[in-house]
Amino acid sequence: MRDRMPRYFFLLSMVILGLVAAALFQAARPPWKKYQREFYALEAQHEPNAAAKESVLKTPLAINQILLPGLQRVDRCTTCHLGVDDPSMKGAREPFAYHAGIQQHPPSKFGCTVCHGGQGLATDKEPAHGHVAHWEEPLLPREYARASCGKCHTKGDVSEAPELAQGRRLFDTHGCRGCHKLNGVGGSIGPDLSREGATRRDPEWLVRHFLKPQSVSKGSAMPDFGFTRNQARDLTFYMLSLTGEEMGNYYTSKDVLPSPAYGRQLFAEKNCLTCHAVGGVGGQGGPDLQGTAQRHSSEWLDEHFVSPTLVFPGSSMPAYDLEPNARAALIRYLAAATPADARSILAAHPKSLSAEEMAIEAGRLSFEHYGCVGCHGENAKGGVPNPNSQGGQVPSLIHVADDYTKPEILSLIRRGKMPPLKDASKPAPPLYMPAWKGTLNEEDLKNVVEYIWSLKPKEESSW
Amino acid sequence: MSALLKDLYRSIFRGDPPSTDKGKSELVFYNVWLHIHPAKVRKEHLKVGHTLYLGFISFFLFLILVVTGVALMLYYHPHPAKAYQDMKDLQFVVFLGPFLRNMHRWAAHAMVLFVFLHMCRVFYTGSYKAPRQFNWVVGVWLLLLTLGLSFTGYLLPWDQLAYWAITVGTNIAAYAPLAGPQIRILLLGGHSIGDQALLRFYVLHVCILPALVIALTMVHFWRIRKDGGLSRPLWKLDADSAPQGEPPRPGPASAEKTYGLMEVVTGKPLFEVLTPAEEEDLVFSYPYAFFREGVAFLLTVAATMVVSLVWNAPLEEIANPAKTPNPAKAPWYFLGLQEMVSHSAFLGGVLVPTLMVLALLALPYLDRNPSRRHADRRLVLWAFTVFAIANIVLILIGTFFRGAGWALVWPWAATAGGHG
Amino acid sequence: MDRRSFLTLTTAGAAGLLASGGALLGSAVRFLFPSVYYEPPQKFKVGYAKDFPIGIPTFLPQEKIYIFRDEAKGFSAASAVCTHLGCTVQWFANDQRFHCPCHGSVFSADGAVVHGPAPKPLQWIEVTLAKDGQLQVDKNRSVADSYHLILPS
Repeated sequence: MRDRMPRYFFLLSMVILGLVAAALFQAARPPWKKYQREFYALEAQHEPNAAAKESVLKTPLAINQILLPGLQRVDRCTTCHLGVDDPSMKGAREPFAYHAGIQQHPPSKFGCTVCHGGQGLATDKEPAHGHVAHWEEPLLPREYARASCGKCHTKGDVSEAPELAQGRRLFDTHGCRGCHKLNGVGGSIGPDLSREGATRRDPEWLVRHFLKPQSVSKGSAMPDFGFTRNQARDLTFYMLSLTGEEMGNYYTSKDVLPSPAYGRQLFAEKNCLTCHAVGGVGGQGGPDLQGTAQRHSSEWLDEHFVSPTLVFPGSSMPAYDLEPNARAALIRYLAAATPADARSILAAHPKSLSAEEMAIEAGRLSFEHYGCVGCHGENAKGGVPNPNSQGGQVPSLIHVADDYTKPEILSLIRRGKMPPLKDASKPAPPLYMPAWKGTLNEEDLKNVVEYIWSLKPKEESSW
Repeated sequence: MSALLKDLYRSIFRGDPPSTDKGKSELVFYNVWLHIHPAKVRKEHLKVGHTLYLGFISFFLFLILVVTGVALMLYYHPHPAKAYQDMKDLQFVVFLGPFLRNMHRWAAHAMVLFVFLHMCRVFYTGSYKAPRQFNWVVGVWLLLLTLGLSFTGYLLPWDQLAYWAITVGTNIAAYAPLAGPQIRILLLGGHSIGDQALLRFYVLHVCILPALVIALTMVHFWRIRKDGGLSRPLWKLDADSAPQGEPPRPGPASAEKTYGLMEVVTGKPLFEVLTPAEEEDLVFSYPYAFFREGVAFLLTVAATMVVSLVWNAPLEEIANPAKTPNPAKAPWYFLGLQEMVSHSAFLGGVLVPTLMVLALLALPYLDRNPSRRHADRRLVLWAFTVFAIANIVLILIGTFFRGAGWALVWPWAATAGGHG
Repeated sequence: MDRRSFLTLTTAGAAGLLASGGALLGSAVRFLFPSVYYEPPQKFKVGYAKDFPIGIPTFLPQEKIYIFRDEAKGFSAASAVCTHLGCTVQWFANDQRFHCPCHGSVFSADGAVVHGPAPKPLQWIEVTLAKDGQLQVDKNRSVADSYHLILPS
């Protein structure tokens, strides 16, 4: 039994030797090494003497990584982008160029991807920039990177990104919450936007969507609001900042530190004195707030701000959409609030309101806050097109008081309503009245009814 | 100095590669690893055409998996917050990381395939028949353990592919009668896949299942020798006078008699005089068997390396319980079941898998026909072929012809849910 | 096949496998040395020169180093890890010395052992000026206790 096995054995052992060599060759030549060599060569050009040149060229090649444990991120971008914090690399070619204005947000603390996006863990260009399959956070185009400011700077203006504040304002005034949920508040006709910036990373898509919703998503129920190109861009900035990422105290902006002063500002803005009093100064609708901070723990108060009815069943206080620092600021202000201060806040208001006016005002606020404006239009004038509904658009609410009783309006808001069809053979209209029960509490609902009732023109009601 | 080195060498390797018959026998006798073989084996058993070396290849793949798996363990944390990041580290920063992960992934798929093929070979050669019934049963358990190893390993990368394949796979298990949902909870340590499930799958994958595979593999190998070596090839059955061609079995033991070693040990010892025909049939294990097995091993390693150099193991987005990919598919070897579940939960989740496992386990006891000749076992051959092909066809349909909403699509039209 | 070519082929084959095994063993060492460390970096920036007081050492608890700023001599940095068994030494302003809380080693302001079980003076590490004007410390580069960084004025 002579055989060829030893020959096969020899050949295969050579094949395996070759394969091992190939594997090692592949492993030993990662692409980032090339960039590091180029960078040190570039840097050596700036060195004055030969010894310094030599030492720069001999810098060991290694992967640089920035650990951001609070964010669950690891950024290795500086493995290739070696010049980001080196002012002498101003104007150098990519990936070595200096990052202007980086001192405010040093990479050692903030990393790179939290603003720019991309795949921080990767060490090769394409995957690192995130333009690969199965990576959900590709690099934002340069001009939109500033949208990420809004991830930490959730309130107020960011001077470098004025688009953000504009976008937020447009979001509120156009009642986007009527259809879209954001951080748990809003309607359910459109998609939840709490993580829009994380799931939809294409700014051009968003801009086109705001300009003409149906042009990018066929059959979308979203009305055309007639935004200008700049407005669409502002809204896109805002959307891109909504990633739902938990930034942690370490990264949250100093602008919204939970100071008592910020708390007082909120206290005045939210008209807390409409219902509450401090030491007898203010409204009588809710409990007097003097000593509240002593009676309840700050955890209790915080939860109460998040959801009043959860902590205190039957509470008629609305749930304001306050971010954590705002809640902390209010709690700190409550501990310091005095009747004299309350009086000065009230004095800044032009007039005090009757109970009825208060209800109407609260209803109006809810009407805006929950985005009823989005479909029923500013001041409930209607006019948003709704194909195949009777009348072809979302009805105005101004004359509702003529056709319905208050309990009827209440039940309509509570239960929602499908608009009657113009042509039964065609598809149902995209917009419908959602059921608001559960989102608005009974007190809110009543106030909204009062507000709608109040819209009836005065001349007609005075017969 | 050279005397010392020589002493050292001689203390490990007692002699040069043997050239005498005595030396060749002793080499096997005195080596703990080589003595798994007898000193001499039948020529026909070494023929590629008889076994295709499928069992060896399965075992070699298991060895590759153990070595690469232990290496990967050094860079893996079984926790949702870290597991996916560890995959990215293997891909981008660990030296040889992608290569090792590729080797492990592809060898794992290959092992499922080769264990199945090995089973088919044993079936078609009728090698599960007496006296080898029990070793077939051990083999079926090894197949199930292989599937278990692959399935538990599937979750560990913690990407969308892993998460949803295991979600679908464990939900198939939940269709089992009586205790189905409880089995799922036991497996996952919860009602859905989370950090508990990842930890449990990890422990099963790196500790419990490999230990069972190693233990059963030892039994499997041992039984080969105790059952009289490999079964004889079918072409030898026609030539031989005795249709079984098996060594004589000892008769029933008598309680009154005292037995000597000679009566307990079965088979023909080497020192017994063999007939010239038998002598002609045998060759020394060294070098013939060992070199063939060595070549099979090197081939397995080389093939796995080539595949690993060319194709990367898949890694999708990080697991996201809130976002179900459409279609969500179980690992490929369970896609036959998923296909059946899509028609009838009872059929695919309960009836077929239960019957399949029971039928495989009971096969050598149900098939009481002693003949191994194909002509004598048409019915059972047909039944098994239909069973195997049905499985393969269903898996192919599930893998390539199912798209979003589990609708039938052409493979080139399928967008998501690729499997590897 | 004759015995001679059999031996040649098997020996050459075994040598090839040994070479592969050796290469893999070597790469196993490379594999075991992490390419990235999940710990604070050894080389890091500590801030701008103006942020450091003159005369009082600044302790950086995360990095376990003391930064000294001397009016005349400039900047230097010492590791706060006791050379005895690795506890963190503390600076006491009243006696101008480092005290180790674990086994009572005491180091003078220049890091020399005054008494206690510590076998070596505290380790001095290199301080350089980074391109962006911040001070940079590299724990991998130890220097003599006479080392000081003098900033160009």
